[in-house]
Amino acid sequence: MSESLNNLLKETGLWRASGIDRECRKNPGSGFPDLDLELPGSGWPADGVTEFLHDQYGIGEFRLLAPALARLSQEQARWLLLVNPPYIPYPPALAQAGIDLSRIVICQPKTNRDYLWVLENALASQSCSTVIAWPGKILDKQIRRLQVASKSGHCWSILFRPEQAAKHASPAELRIRIRPYTSLHDSTALELKILKRIGGWESESIRLVFDDQLHRPMPEFNEMLIKQPSRHEPEARSFTDPAITDRPRPYDYQ
Amino acid sequence: MTFDKERITNTSKALWLCLHFPQLPVEVFSRKQKELPKETLSETLSETLSETLTERPIVILVRQRVAFLNPAAKAIGIRFGSSMNTAYTISEQIISFERDDAKEIAALTHLAQWAYQFTPDVVIKSPHSLLLEISGCLKLFHGLDNLKSLIRDELDKLGFSAKIGVNGTPLSALCFAEAGLDDNLGDISASLESVPVQHLRVEPTVLESLHQMGISHCGQLLSLPDDGLNRRYGVFFTDYLRRLTGESPDPQKFISDKPQFRSEITFLADVTNLESLVFPIKRLLGELHDFLRGRQLTVNQFTFRLAHRSHPAQELSIMLASPDNDPAMFLMLTQLKLDKIQKMHEVDSISLSSRQFFELGHVEMETRSGDLFQGTRFQQKDGRRHSKAEAAKAIQLINMMTARLGPQSCFGLSLADDHRPELAWRPVAINARHEPVAIGEGNVRPLYLLRSPSALTMKADSPCMAGKLDLLQGPERIDFGWWDSSEVNRDYYIARHECGALYWVYCQRSNNQWYLHGIFS
Repeated sequence: MSESLNNLLKETGLWRASGIDRECRKNPGSGFPDLDLELPGSGWPADGVTEFLHDQYGIGEFRLLAPALARLSQEQARWLLLVNPPYIPYPPALAQAGIDLSRIVICQPKTNRDYLWVLENALASQSCSTVIAWPGKILDKQIRRLQVASKSGHCWSILFRPEQAAKHASPAELRIRIRPYTSLHDSTALELKILKRIGGWESESIRLVFDDQLHRPMPEFNEMLIKQPSRHEPEARSFTDPAITDRPRPYDYQ
Repeated sequence: MTFDKERITNTSKALWLCLHFPQLPVEVFSRKQKELPKETLSETLSETLSETLTERPIVILVRQRVAFLNPAAKAIGIRFGSSMNTAYTISEQIISFERDDAKEIAALTHLAQWAYQFTPDVVIKSPHSLLLEISGCLKLFHGLDNLKSLIRDELDKLGFSAKIGVNGTPLSALCFAEAGLDDNLGDISASLESVPVQHLRVEPTVLESLHQMGISHCGQLLSLPDDGLNRRYGVFFTDYLRRLTGESPDPQKFISDKPQFRSEITFLADVTNLESLVFPIKRLLGELHDFLRGRQLTVNQFTFRLAHRSHPAQELSIMLASPDNDPAMFLMLTQLKLDKIQKMHEVDSISLSSRQFFELGHVEMETRSGDLFQGTRFQQKDGRRHSKAEAAKAIQLINMMTARLGPQSCFGLSLADDHRPELAWRPVAINARHEPVAIGEGNVRPLYLLRSPSALTMKADSPCMAGKLDLLQGPERIDFGWWDSSEVNRDYYIARHECGALYWVYCQRSNNQWYLHGIFS
């Protein structure tokens, strides 16, 4: 190859598919080996926009990220910023997941303008390791700005979006659709599909099974349902029961 | 020269420096603008500034008569005591203000706080003077001449002009400053000999009587016998003379060492666009920075107050996540705050004040991690130890967000020691110390908690939520809080919705009503 062509490739930062794996292999794992096989660099990215598309809260979308967030919060002295979370991120559960609470910042901008301002500035500030947001309506040029900001600030930008956003193209580096996988599993299971990734096509569905056993019905509980106390059973006596107060007291035996 | 310096720096006696501000009533309105490089300013800005920069005649009125005037007014021929009509016939350019005592006191207080950087012993002498006891600080400032030129330079920057007088007692220093005499470091009585009596702070009737007696200089007055003066003018007059010459002690009331900052700039012409506020804001922030540096302090909150002639004043408070003293950051945060202003009325004056101060060392201790080898190649490399610059950057983001979005918009999370789910956490200020709370290893908790539980509808004796809910695990009874008003008595279950989502629901045992309280996201 001619020298000028080489220079061009070096200086313009032109992306070449052949270089991808070499560059990104350093990414730490997501905590799910099956997923790591499919992710570029075999792990969650350290920066850039990652979109998670799902329609239902509560299927395990946050628990999917918990190992990565726990690692980031413990390894880096940077903030973990949550912008307008839909519910209170419940600290006891975060602590159980191993996330360092002292690194978490919740920010609640009121207008859409402020919302985007916070996202872009936080991403570019270099003082956040991760910025998580639940944008309702967001334009693809706005996502592009977030992508640029997150690259310059070395910050991972996570967007949770509704599944219908999959119909439209997005400048996000990584797009993953999440659906619950309801079979006979005891534990939470997710069906993931990587819609967009660097250095690869759309993936096949990936099934992840968490080791939380949350979906396992407790047998004791079912038994209890059967043995509900009937209402006609006499109630336990309380201390004010006359039957107890009428009982002879010790000094009566003198 | 060396001998002279010896004498100055070794004074064991008290030495008083008086700053007399004869132009104070004018200067509170027209603090002389510092010359600044014009090319750095935008065109509109320099236009509005040039108006304020060129000195316009200003007069201060008391009962519709000119009581004070600036040199420009004097130059065009306006005299003390002339009426406003006379002044206007001389020039239409004239700007007049009613004398404002409150502003003068505020300015003098500000100047007293500023003078604290030279000596801790500062006295406010109304109406227009400050007294500084400088015998202790001459060595630090390399002699009296250096100190005086330093004070002059700094005052010039602030936009105030002062006459400086130095003498051995407070009253004689005051007298020297008002008369505009040279410093005196020697005998007080001898130095007063040639001072005209009208510079003494005595009643006009006494002055007149002295003139009638043929006494025009202090030397003549001081040679008169005490008991004669006592009989003629009363004991207060002789006491004044004794304090003047230092024969009897003259205790002074020093300003308290509690720092306070309030500085104000009044505009001669009302300012209507935000852009032209930037320069006065810069100047006020510069003063705040000098103040903080002089007293080794930091602030975590300061307030701009924009006064409007025909509207209630507007306040802009800027809160910082941690105390700081960096003027560049202050300016950036102020600009963020100004950007939020939609509509602005014409601004009459702008003031900057701050009440809460922190010692400088305190902040550094906070941000410095406990690593002894910080900044060396031996420092710990586990990633948790971050340098001061990084910590400052992290705080700056929080500052920016709170400046733009308001102080309540950013918070951290902390655990609280309570079994009731809604009380097991609390929002905390960022950078607050996290008290260790034992994490219950036992029961799983949802990652999302609803701010207030939402009631579920019932279908055939079981709760449902736009779809069937299967109760998977439970119950976990939480029965707690009889000692305060928020008692809970609930059975918690993990429920699976038919779409696959997991919810944390509970049954209120008092009325068998089901509620959704959390989401296992």
